[in-house]
Amino acid sequence: MIEKIVFGLLAFLVVVPAALAVTLKNVFHCALFLVLSLTGVAGLFAMLGADFLFVAQLLVYAGGITVLLLFVVLLSGSPKDWVVRQVNAQWIVGLLISGMFVGLLAAVFKQMPVPAALVPAVPTTAALGLVLIRDWVLPFEAVSLVLLAALVGAVHFSKGRSR
Amino acid sequence: MSGLFGYLLIGAILLALGIYGALARRNLLGVLIGIELIFNAANINFVALNRYLHPGQSLGQAAAIFVIALAAAEAVVGLALVLTIYRNFRTVLSENLNLLKG
Repeated sequence: MIEKIVFGLLAFLVVVPAALAVTLKNVFHCALFLVLSLTGVAGLFAMLGADFLFVAQLLVYAGGITVLLLFVVLLSGSPKDWVVRQVNAQWIVGLLISGMFVGLLAAVFKQMPVPAALVPAVPTTAALGLVLIRDWVLPFEAVSLVLLAALVGAVHFSKGRSR
Repeated sequence: MSGLFGYLLIGAILLALGIYGALARRNLLGVLIGIELIFNAANINFVALNRYLHPGQSLGQAAAIFVIALAAAEAVVGLALVLTIYRNFRTVLSENLNLLKG
């Protein structure tokens, strides 16, 4: 019973701020609502027993990426961008396509097999570390290379013209 | 509702909101916000399916970690591009970026 209440609250916390984040005019407010929605996703991870992902979501997403986003919102764009119309001419088509996605996916999910009774969640951080270091060590290193390339590329893009 | 179906439905709604944001926003930063929502929808699906269909394993959570790392890389490069575009064009609205239009 209490699990259903918590799930309902978290679903509200994820979906409503996400809807506001894609519809509000002011991009700064959008980014702040994105923080709220990502925090709700972290709560869902905690309910699913993914303890390490809960912390990683809060640190990387709610802490890191959105702070970066807020910096760029403040550095780029003038206040007049925050009062003009925010959707392009094809927004109705976009709305129809995304609504179609929800309907089709819900119809598919209805036909999925009902899983067996849940076993109690156990901490997964140790198992996750073993997977990353032992089984998936090559993709792990590849991701670290991608991150390095992204850092160097970001510095290259944003350093401006050399004079 | 709070079973597997509920989590998958939240993931689907988040995916749809992200697609709407990426398709319909004029502001480049709004497009990036939509893409972040799409990444999170994928992560919810990974973790929920791992918990309900393959309990005792953690491959789905490992995949979600890779998604988070790649999303960070994407956000860094995307935001640097937006900053450079603003510096060169003095706008962040996507329809003004028509340099290649004949």
